[in-house]
Amino acid sequence: MSQRVGIIGLGQSAFQSRRDDASYPDLVREATAIALADAKLELDDIEAVVYSLSPDTMVGIGNAERLGIDAVGARNKRFLRINTGGATGISSVQAAYYHIASGACDVVLTAGADKVGECGDSQTVLNKIWDPTYERQLPQGTITMLAMSAVRYMHKYGMVEEDMARIVVKNRHHASLNPNAHLRKTTTVDQVMASRTIAWPIKLFDCCPQSSGGGAVVLASEKYIKDHKLDAVWITGIGHCSETYYLGDRMGRGFTADHADAYALGNAIKRAYKMAGITDPKKQIDAAELYAPFSNTEFHAIEAAGLADLGQAPAMLREGYFALGGPTPVNASGGTLCTNAIAVTAMVRLIEAAQQVWGRAGTHQVKGAKRAVASGNGGDHQFFGAVVVEA
Amino acid sequence: MPYLVRSGVIGAAISPCVEGFQHSLEEVLYEVTQRALRDAGITIEDIDGIVVGGNDQYDGRAISVMMASGPVGGVDRDIISTPSAGEHAFVMATMRVGSGHFRTHLVVAWSPTEADSLAEVQRLATDPYFHRRLPQDEFGAHAMQANVLLSKMPELGELVRKISAKNRANGAQAYPDLVSAELPSYDARRYPLEPGLVSAPVNGAVALVIASEDFIAEHGCKDVAWIAGQGWATEAAFIGDRDLSQAPALVEAARQAYAEAGISEPLSAFDVAEVADTSPYHELLAYEALGLAPRAEWGARVADGSFGPNGTLPVNLSGGAHALNPVYCTGLIRIAEIALQVLGRAGRHQRPGVQAGLAHAASGDAMQYNTVVVLRRDLQGEVR
Repeated sequence: MSQRVGIIGLGQSAFQSRRDDASYPDLVREATAIALADAKLELDDIEAVVYSLSPDTMVGIGNAERLGIDAVGARNKRFLRINTGGATGISSVQAAYYHIASGACDVVLTAGADKVGECGDSQTVLNKIWDPTYERQLPQGTITMLAMSAVRYMHKYGMVEEDMARIVVKNRHHASLNPNAHLRKTTTVDQVMASRTIAWPIKLFDCCPQSSGGGAVVLASEKYIKDHKLDAVWITGIGHCSETYYLGDRMGRGFTADHADAYALGNAIKRAYKMAGITDPKKQIDAAELYAPFSNTEFHAIEAAGLADLGQAPAMLREGYFALGGPTPVNASGGTLCTNAIAVTAMVRLIEAAQQVWGRAGTHQVKGAKRAVASGNGGDHQFFGAVVVEA
Repeated sequence: MPYLVRSGVIGAAISPCVEGFQHSLEEVLYEVTQRALRDAGITIEDIDGIVVGGNDQYDGRAISVMMASGPVGGVDRDIISTPSAGEHAFVMATMRVGSGHFRTHLVVAWSPTEADSLAEVQRLATDPYFHRRLPQDEFGAHAMQANVLLSKMPELGELVRKISAKNRANGAQAYPDLVSAELPSYDARRYPLEPGLVSAPVNGAVALVIASEDFIAEHGCKDVAWIAGQGWATEAAFIGDRDLSQAPALVEAARQAYAEAGISEPLSAFDVAEVADTSPYHELLAYEALGLAPRAEWGARVADGSFGPNGTLPVNLSGGAHALNPVYCTGLIRIAEIALQVLGRAGRHQRPGVQAGLAHAASGDAMQYNTVVVLRRDLQGEVR
């Protein structure tokens, strides 16, 4: 079996709408410097870099990873970029994992940044992910795409808009405890319900913000960690899976996956659980950081992670299952709903999960967390990645 | 190969020049994928994971792997993309199989030319404050590199025409329906890349199938291009930070690949080589950085035909990017060409008895990204 891979350094920005003080490469360097300091390493110690960047158009530079080469100290080193849309951050962590698990390298950095808050309008950019002949003209966006998922989930499982609002209230409370989160003001169900409709049933407060900031993770082989007497938490499970491109293939007769559910996310997480030896996630997972950019999507993510049976997540949320202090806190950081710098959002899920099992999550620490799962979603709810991390 | 699991290429397909627009890009990707699978003697059901290389700006899409996923079989599979370079999809796939988590992988890259124009698209990849206003595109960066070499070695002006003739003749032999032995008419209008020294970008696609040692044994694959070593490295972000007369990232990539393959004398280690040759100047630079010929010997090696089709080490028997240049996937094509040579299935340009081959891929401005892959017909060395 491949050698064990540990996480030895974590870095993330304090995310904001704008970072006029920092260029795009500056944000990459900011997160990289934090992660290297955390790992007690220098740039020269890094053997390879996996660059985490989703659509170039979000930063307005084609192949923008080339401008980040010096920010991550990759000159004359192994360097490549990963892009799976919103899942990019967790796909990049997995790519770095394979660098080490294969034996190619012992110490690998994955890093990136985004300036979504400064791109003008992310939905205009994200409309360009769809087929130019058919779906792009609708005009399709990620909000309308997942509003359709919400409607389907409502129809199938009886979710109501107030259930979605409860997710927002929970996550905003969590984010208020997290100094790196972007939206840190608490809110109420009434305030969420009173916010303006964006694409029914998704309202403004049901939506993630457009965030700017960076993320970085340093991974190392077990041998390197032991030889250098480093502190680490361990990646014990990884998985990745994809759905269809065309949304119409998830609806109506003959669909391959129901748009209410997160079928491929469930497969990705199952693969990670199998590798980690997890058979009963409700008992074995202490904390979950699940990529959910809109409130409704957290429900099917919770179910895909095996933390609730299909259709049961709203009822369990009402009973406090997924809040800090509950049996399995979900998105104790505030999650994607409160911070979304797309290129690194899924990496931040992994960073937060690692902080939890390391016992370093501060005021949003899940007491006694030893095993956590992180996930990422990308494309038009098409690419999904999951990682299990353990103390 | 010091990876946990040894692996090899068992199938490949190249569409070096897809004419016209009779087919959608999805159809082109489906076709090249199915050809590679047939070449490997397996079906998509045998594929565990997929890595693709596509460029959003060339494709006119954001996250172009979304479109590609269906045609290459990505639904319900683990598929990721390496938009930094098509050849990076190969090194990533090799590590994924090398980790023991996958038994097989499909690697696909493509390069359309429908964007109007590629030069404008490439200009968007420069930093928005300084270089974008120049304007600087990839041919412009390649030309600056050529100019630096030419200024140091004026005799190269004659040498590059001989290399151009070699690669044009090789291309005409390899792909007679697509390449003429005569000089290409394309004028890059970038000094010193005079007409005839570079080819116009074309549409292209390429696919390879990688399998682990146990899968290969289980399926009785007769011909295998074993991945003996691979290396990849990047130059600095800004072209002004580089000495363009040198290729340190390629030197490093070659060092990595040769170390893994146990090669100390590269000139005598291979039967064929495919190197990045957007222009003949770059082929010369590759000779040196790959350890095949220092610049002091360039003239002699070209004169004695060492790297010609009948030389001791034929370089770019396919004609290289000099003959057919689907810009974004031309790097992965270099690897596929060598894989087919080692598999003995290169077709009209097959060199008899190839036991080992060297592939060099470069992408970005003035060979910014460099990847080196060593493929062998026989399995050698220990796993890590």
